[in-house]
Amino acid sequence: MINILRSFAHKRESSSFFSWLWVPAFAGTSGLVALALGAWLAPAAAQFGPLELIEAARQEGKLVFYSANVAESETPVLNAFNKRFPFVKIEFLRAPGNQLLQRVKTEAAAGKLLADVIDHSDRALMREIENIFQDYAPPNATDYIPETLVSPKLWPRSTVVWSIAYNSELLKNPPKSWLDLTKPEYANKQIGQVIAPSGGTTWTRAMFERQVVDPNYWKKQAATAPVLFPSNAPTSDALVRGEIVIAPLLYNAIFPKLRDGAPVKVFFAPEGAPVTPFAAGIPKTAAHPNAAKLFLNWCLSEEGQAMMIREIGNLTSLKVAPLYPEGFDPKIVKVWVPNYEQFVELQREWLDEWNKTYGYRQ
Amino acid sequence: MTAETAALVAPREAGRRISFGWLWSGALLVLLTFLVIYPVAMLVLGALTNTNPVVDGFGIYDLSLKNFITVLGNPNVHFALANSLIACGGGTLLAVIIGLTFSWVVVRTNTPCKRFIAAVSMIPLFVPPLVAAVAWSILASPKTGLLNTMIKWVGIDFRFDVYTMGGLIAIFGIYYAPYVYMFTASALRNMDPALEEAAEISGATPVRILFTVTFPLIAPAIISGMLLSFIVMLGIYGIPAVLGAPGDIPVLTTYIFKLTNWSPPLYSTAASVAIILMIVTGFLVFLQQKVVSGRSYITVAGKAFRPGVMNLGPWRYLTLSLAVIYLIVVVVLPTLALIVAAFRKFLFIRSVESLFDLKQYSLIHFERLFDNPLAVRSIWNTMEVGLITAVFGGILAFAIGYTVHRTNAAGRRSIDVISTLPVAIPGLVIGVAYLWAWIGLPGGLYGTIWILALAFIARFMPDTIKALSTSLLQIHKELEEASWICGKGLLGTIRTIVLPLARPGVIAAMTLLFILAIRELGSSLFLYTSNTMVMAVLLLDYYEGGNVGITSAFSLVQTLLLAVLIGIAHFLSRGGADTSVGRAG
Repeated sequence: MINILRSFAHKRESSSFFSWLWVPAFAGTSGLVALALGAWLAPAAAQFGPLELIEAARQEGKLVFYSANVAESETPVLNAFNKRFPFVKIEFLRAPGNQLLQRVKTEAAAGKLLADVIDHSDRALMREIENIFQDYAPPNATDYIPETLVSPKLWPRSTVVWSIAYNSELLKNPPKSWLDLTKPEYANKQIGQVIAPSGGTTWTRAMFERQVVDPNYWKKQAATAPVLFPSNAPTSDALVRGEIVIAPLLYNAIFPKLRDGAPVKVFFAPEGAPVTPFAAGIPKTAAHPNAAKLFLNWCLSEEGQAMMIREIGNLTSLKVAPLYPEGFDPKIVKVWVPNYEQFVELQREWLDEWNKTYGYRQ
Repeated sequence: MTAETAALVAPREAGRRISFGWLWSGALLVLLTFLVIYPVAMLVLGALTNTNPVVDGFGIYDLSLKNFITVLGNPNVHFALANSLIACGGGTLLAVIIGLTFSWVVVRTNTPCKRFIAAVSMIPLFVPPLVAAVAWSILASPKTGLLNTMIKWVGIDFRFDVYTMGGLIAIFGIYYAPYVYMFTASALRNMDPALEEAAEISGATPVRILFTVTFPLIAPAIISGMLLSFIVMLGIYGIPAVLGAPGDIPVLTTYIFKLTNWSPPLYSTAASVAIILMIVTGFLVFLQQKVVSGRSYITVAGKAFRPGVMNLGPWRYLTLSLAVIYLIVVVVLPTLALIVAAFRKFLFIRSVESLFDLKQYSLIHFERLFDNPLAVRSIWNTMEVGLITAVFGGILAFAIGYTVHRTNAAGRRSIDVISTLPVAIPGLVIGVAYLWAWIGLPGGLYGTIWILALAFIARFMPDTIKALSTSLLQIHKELEEASWICGKGLLGTIRTIVLPLARPGVIAAMTLLFILAIRELGSSLFLYTSNTMVMAVLLLDYYEGGNVGITSAFSLVQTLLLAVLIGIAHFLSRGGADTSVGRAG
């Protein structure tokens, strides 16, 4: 402050004095701005990384984010991050899981990987390419459930959970458990089921149904002749429209419709809630590594995770969840994460069996 | 110039022409190799190995036919192939019936309101397949379809069901009829009525004239339209994905998509299935060329004519009502379904009364759509890429079409075959081949709009050339010869004779290319980046997000934009047609 006052005083006296003193004056002003920025960012600094990281992210000014999540889910998250850090412009690229991976592999091999952050739903596939990622851990790394981590470079930025949803206008005797979805009273195309080979999340659900609910679950449910869907999105749409009346759905697929007042009700069944932690990391080639770190630090922070639970219907892989989705009582509903080795080893054989049981042509 | 020097110059001149011909063909072949052969080679390589050529390098292949053998022995592939052929065959038949009838009604009868009918009849072409399918699932799903809700309310015991093979054929047929319409209307407009007049004088009935003179005369246009619509249907993903899935009717494209989405993705198997698709289509192209070759379809010659218009008397109101019914089925009802979906908060419609409950309607989907900065950016990007594709693709297609059909340039058969090749490759698979082929190129092509435009130019080259060739084939050589005799050079003749005569065809081809580029999803999927997002990809994103409301809202925006642009193109094209007829004398 003294520097500034002094510089102003000298400026009045003589321009030559000013020309000599402008350097320290500028330095002083910059220091003041940095101090102000520091004060403003102080609460953020502790939670999301050191001040230098935030300043470096500000210098970079942007990041390129690749995600397998749909835009409707990611947009609120990106907006919330930009509310906190408006100086990092995010260029978002979304592609379906396997296409995203194909693109990442090809870009990386050609030396043209544009992404600064990649988030993908299949941990096993991400682990196969872990060598393209740099070392990274968030400030709250120890707060995460160890079983949800498959590599020290990859973090469960998104964690999605299965729920059971039904059309409340059409169904007057709703199911209360996973096992209820095998009852003959819901037969004849009332249930919608996303095919198990659709991806990592559906494979998790199929494992849960067989390992936790009932070893013969698939056979029993297939007997009710459910309608098979390729993914969660058209299933949730069909449910709202009344094409089907019940469906196991990822909570974040039905959450936006539920929030907007669609005629659906959702519950988490007592047998458990299968969850799929994603894997997110920062490539070694990231052109904006500091912005990328700041972004992931924020997403993985309690604030970021709470936001994702509240606004887009995710769950979290934090040991202590900051909050739970409406209707999710952790005392009643146990979170179920598949054993990673089994998740990889059983996949091909069990999915073949699933396809045969449900009469799905692969 | 003495006689001796003239004799010396003539062979030199001829030699220069020959070397220019070689140079020209060589340049086209190099360009086609880059645009077509190189990516297709990548695709074949992908099918013969289990590797990604970019990731695993070029030296470590384990070439084998294992993927092909597995695919050929897979009963699911047989089932999907059979479904594809039935759905597309049935769809094409319906498209020909509708398209031909409609073009005849518009061009050759005195049915009232023709301009309006002609303009609106093209609208189905602008609707992305995904949206068409979503609109029809809203209208005619057996349980909650709006049409079924209506007829239930009236008390009729009948239900529409689009989730069947019949439904698939009907939707294919009505949405791809414009391909046939486009080709046949242009041919009917440009044909010489002399033979029809002769038949009339000889006492043939109008119906007989139609089937024995008119339709055979425009056979190349009918076959081209038929073939193109069949091939386009074969490569469509959106319609069978939405309508085929609930009824468990897999087709080749949905099967390929399944393979690319399998975890881990089976791109090599998908490439093998794609190559089977290529062989089927290649055979059809060969068949078409066999049918067309050796027959003269020249109907635009150096004589003045204007095709006659048949006076239908009171029957013209029947043709008008047929057209109106067609419009309602193809345009009005699906658009209404989209409007309902775009403005309604949720698509749960319990009864007819609830459909008219205004409290259920809002602008929320449009607000959310334009809240997303990517939406606006995708619109600009799409327009840019559509324009680049239409202009450069149009020029290239004209160059190829002219070289193949109007010159004796060396290598023109090869040019013809190579430029037809992409027709047989489904976009879902060629997308990844383009990425493999072009990402490693030096320079900053990857990540720009130009890489998308290149892919679209390559992918739609056959469609554009076919659309152009119909016009080029109809122009009699005598007109160019007359120009040469009058001292015009090759370029001068093209500029003053060929281009003005072919202008409706050129503009139709460019318009077609623009529409195809704007709707193209498959090959965009691997080539867009965060900066070059296009509408089709964002639309899929919204659909995959399960939000029919925003998907419908975005579809309406897209359709509106296209309708305006097509309106302009149609105006230009019509002007061209009038001019060409006027100049033909």
